[in-house]
Amino acid sequence: MTPRLFWHVCGVEARKRMSYRVDFWLSSIGGFLAQLGVAYFIVLALFHGSGRPTIGGFTFQGMILYYAAVILLGRVVRGTEADQTIAQDIYEGGLTRYLLYPTSYTVFKYAQNVGTLVPALLQLFLLGAWFPLALGTPEGARITGASIAMGVGASVLASVLYFLLVWPIQAIAFWADNVWSLMLAHRILANLMGGLLVPLTLFPEWAQRALALLPFPLLFAFPVDALLGRLDLHQWLKGIALGLLWCTALIVIGRAVWRRGDRRYAGVGI
Amino acid sequence: MLRYARLYACFVRFSFSRAMEFRMDFFFRIGMDALWYFVNLAFFWVLYRHTASLGGWGYDQVLVFVGGVFFVDALHMTIFSNNLWWLPITINKGDLDYYLVRPVSSLFFLSLRDFAANSFVNLFMALGVLAWTLAHFPEPLGALPVTLYIAMLFLGLFLYYVLHMLFLIPSFWMHTGGGLREIFYALEPYATRPHGVFRGWVRRILVSLLPFALIMSFPAQALLEDLALPVLAHMAGATAAAFLLMLWLWRRGLRAYVSASS
Repeated sequence: MTPRLFWHVCGVEARKRMSYRVDFWLSSIGGFLAQLGVAYFIVLALFHGSGRPTIGGFTFQGMILYYAAVILLGRVVRGTEADQTIAQDIYEGGLTRYLLYPTSYTVFKYAQNVGTLVPALLQLFLLGAWFPLALGTPEGARITGASIAMGVGASVLASVLYFLLVWPIQAIAFWADNVWSLMLAHRILANLMGGLLVPLTLFPEWAQRALALLPFPLLFAFPVDALLGRLDLHQWLKGIALGLLWCTALIVIGRAVWRRGDRRYAGVGI
Repeated sequence: MLRYARLYACFVRFSFSRAMEFRMDFFFRIGMDALWYFVNLAFFWVLYRHTASLGGWGYDQVLVFVGGVFFVDALHMTIFSNNLWWLPITINKGDLDYYLVRPVSSLFFLSLRDFAANSFVNLFMALGVLAWTLAHFPEPLGALPVTLYIAMLFLGLFLYYVLHMLFLIPSFWMHTGGGLREIFYALEPYATRPHGVFRGWVRRILVSLLPFALIMSFPAQALLEDLALPVLAHMAGATAAAFLLMLWLWRRGLRAYVSASS
């Protein structure tokens, strides 16, 4: 696919996502405030109950800033995951029309996925930019130009990694009639193991060591830690290298699953 | 009433037949719900590694609360969830016509038609966790308070359904109900976290205007803090008020419904 076509597909998808404006603003502002509200009160109760000034390397303000960033960045990373468009195309026979397109189906879907990130990016800037100003820079966090650049790099990697994790799961639709439960299971697991529910430094040491080998922390905790300046260059490079390794492995797995599934595809739909 | 019971039995029978047609999804969903239980238990386990109390409740008390959360969620997933997922889509596509012409209550039909047989299996898993948390509670809880707790969880389930409906009914007037549905899902954690962690005006809203704290926290509070009667009265009053509001809005919504692209 040419870069021009790629960005055109992104643009069309972004416009589609923002066409229902009331919905967009309701879910973006309302959803964000509701999610952050729960996190705020849990963190407050946690610090109140423990009586300690820092937990897992976070001060109270530091943990709130972490949650605000991870909620907003999580939306950017996840993109269209909930839409199951790939599984739907397979199941309903919609994949057939893409076979005629002079471009790769997966790259086309990834371009659409990038398009859906635009509203999430808008939310990130509109809702997230004032947070460091309001909370100041808590102990342990250092937001600088370099940390923002590292955060952007880690977020791009996380977005690709998330798509590659979801791709083989959706391809299971070649065999199963409904993969919604599998997608949700992946999301539930990624939320816990990726640091969206609880910062990973709150887990016991042995769990942190095990999680560090998995792709999940690279989805949410890694880009947020990079953005908030909680990582040095060495840690960031290590994370990026691990992420690239996982991307390569997932491309191999995804292509193998897709190739096997493609042989079964009859194009008849439901 | 008997006619409705017979009709519901038909819904259940058809749902099991359908579930057996899609066997892989049947097992995927069981696995997904089991994972959700695990993640919720892990969430509180991680938090309680750093504190002895969260919103006034210790770990054993939170486990009882979590058992109730699983039970109510499994019931909601089994009885209402699929139906409520499709409701805004049915309204916006104009498919409501099919239900309005039938000689039964459209609200009954649309709320209960799709019984999730796969989630029904998970109900046993949730019941197992609930029984385990109650049996392992360090102090004796007593048969009567536990029975009352279960009864209050059923009331909580009904309130959960009513609140969910209140967020979906505006689809009659909006082009899409996706935004409000997203907000409802974002608000759900206010029900699945102990209400003691919430403070100030947020807590006041959660027990009155948006009574999410009443769904699962209040039954646990009644059991653990020996406050059955006042809590039950509060829950019953709020549920009745929310139900009346839902019925009123549903009727107004039906009047506003103009079939396709409403």
